[in-house]
Amino acid sequence: MTAYDAIIIGAGAGGGIAAGVLAEAGKRVLLLERGPQLAAGADPRDHLRNQRFARFGLNAGPALEGNPRVVVDAQGQVFVARPNDVTYHNNAAVVGGGTRVYGAQAWRFLPQDFRMASLYGAPAGSSLADWPIQYSELEPYYERAEWEIGVAGDGAASARHWPRRTGFPLPPLPVNAQGRTLRAGAAKLGWETLPIPALINTEPYLGRRACIQCQECVGFTCPVEAKNGTHNTLIPRALATGRCALLTEAMVINIDTDGAGHVSGVSYIDREGQRHSAGAEVVICAGGAIETARLLLNSASAQHPRGLGNQHDQVGRHLQGHYYPAAIGLMSEPVYDGIGPGISTATIRFNHNNDGFIGGGMLADEFITLPVIFWTHQLPPDLPRWGMANKRFMRENYTRVMRVTGPVQEIPNPEARVTVDAAVRDRWGMPVARLSGSAHLETVRTAAFMFERAREWLTASGAVRVWGQAPGSYLSAGQHQAGTCRMGDDPRRSVVDRWGRVHGHDNLFVTDGSVHVTNGGFNPVLTIMALAFRAAEHITQTW
Amino acid sequence: MLTPLHWNTLRALMDRLIPADDFPGAWEAGVGDFLERQLESDLRSQAEPLRQGLEALEAEAQAWGGASFAALEASAQDALLGRVEAGQVRASWPVDPAGFFRAMTEQVSLGYYGDPTNGANRGRMAWRMIGFGPRA
Repeated sequence: MTAYDAIIIGAGAGGGIAAGVLAEAGKRVLLLERGPQLAAGADPRDHLRNQRFARFGLNAGPALEGNPRVVVDAQGQVFVARPNDVTYHNNAAVVGGGTRVYGAQAWRFLPQDFRMASLYGAPAGSSLADWPIQYSELEPYYERAEWEIGVAGDGAASARHWPRRTGFPLPPLPVNAQGRTLRAGAAKLGWETLPIPALINTEPYLGRRACIQCQECVGFTCPVEAKNGTHNTLIPRALATGRCALLTEAMVINIDTDGAGHVSGVSYIDREGQRHSAGAEVVICAGGAIETARLLLNSASAQHPRGLGNQHDQVGRHLQGHYYPAAIGLMSEPVYDGIGPGISTATIRFNHNNDGFIGGGMLADEFITLPVIFWTHQLPPDLPRWGMANKRFMRENYTRVMRVTGPVQEIPNPEARVTVDAAVRDRWGMPVARLSGSAHLETVRTAAFMFERAREWLTASGAVRVWGQAPGSYLSAGQHQAGTCRMGDDPRRSVVDRWGRVHGHDNLFVTDGSVHVTNGGFNPVLTIMALAFRAAEHITQTW
Repeated sequence: MLTPLHWNTLRALMDRLIPADDFPGAWEAGVGDFLERQLESDLRSQAEPLRQGLEALEAEAQAWGGASFAALEASAQDALLGRVEAGQVRASWPVDPAGFFRAMTEQVSLGYYGDPTNGANRGRMAWRMIGFGPRA
């Protein structure tokens, strides 16, 4: 049995950063990833099999067979979902995790987002709570993520809303036709807009090329590695120290504890199906909010009969993601000019201070839309789905339609949760994640309010027709999955402490979206990255 | 496996789902190749329902028009398909007619507007038609 200083489970946003920080601090690290390392430029850019449109499969895993989850829907129906089903709530399973194929929006959470319960009060049925840390404590690590991974943005515009010490290392994304149209519409409404910060090289940075402005960004790997994730920053840095071993297609099935209940390492199965044990002084979970919760629950032992960190039945609860109300507008003139990635413009006017609502969310323009996504999700509801009328609409209006959408800050509830289902096993024989519950009604209500704001923006921007509908009630998680190992000072109501250390353990940590108490009204990845920098730095300073 | 008769029906059906104008219809765009490939992979489990649906569509054409579906005028084909879409059928259908129609509409459109590597959208003609791609 090889002994490491630290074993990190999952090579995504949080795990990759922890690996880099620990290895550079002199620690010997084993980084285990269930998925493969995708070669640069190897993504076939399959419009029917990608992280954004997974109708027949996924480009960044996991495999459709052998990785099931059990889903309990709002009517209590129980079924088995595959990774490309919406109800599965997949995130990518490759080196880099979601950062390999994401849209790369790089938002900080607002200072208010860390104090939601204090600002609004917790509504009945919710588990809305404040974070144990404030924005000011995370700010230096947001800055580190922006500079060490690489974010393009407008520092002056950002500084009007977020206290920040520095600007961005890269200038903002180009403003394309839809962005110009929406900025004009917002000006009519008196709404302030700001450039969307993104983990994309708008200029050459850290030894990699600038974005080529292609039309197949979100959902795909970048053909020129201008999309910045952990796979091309912190993980290569970790490997360059010579102290980090990256093992791909290695599935961790258990966090091992010794006879005293102390975490001693992990058991994993390699790509040939062989089981191994590896020992370490520290174990860090970063498999995403669903898989991390599943692993902690599956790691039950005599001393921890309900799973690790689960003595107060908190692991897996408060599962959340983002509701995405979307309005679609038909413009009188083309708003498509082919300049990718497509996103450029957002308003954060409605993230807070909406009378009668708890929080709110950001609204933004959309990535260039794949034609199959446009046909599947964005046509007017009364348009025939076939025949000449359908073809004509596609032909005349693909370039004249745009979509406004954005993440709504969710109000967590304990019944939206991950448990494990021993009746269904994955290809390694382990009980799979079981997802149940639904978003809190306040989330649904806020989403309806934000849908109306999206309509309003499109109308003011000159839309001749607007369609879409406010979302109904369902479980939310998806790529923005969070909350299942929430951070807190009280072990009875949280799973990890303010540093990401699992309560009751001195050497078990979580550095992924699981630790988010609330998930902001923003794409969460920069917050995951900042928290991972902070947790990893803390580990190196106290060990 | 689909017989030539099935393919005859399928070709006529897909060319009503996405008809030709000055841009190709579904068949000429290669959607037949796309579907053939899909039936050997992702849609293997759907081959039998597809065969049953195509045979039922033939029976429907005989019941309403006294002819093979492919032999009907385009307007008669469209009228027939509108009834199938609404589930108003005369023949006996072993599969749900509206569900069959919905599935065919989806598969044909995904092929037509999908990337050429999947077998249809030859020469990116569907993307040129709608304007998707790099700036001109």
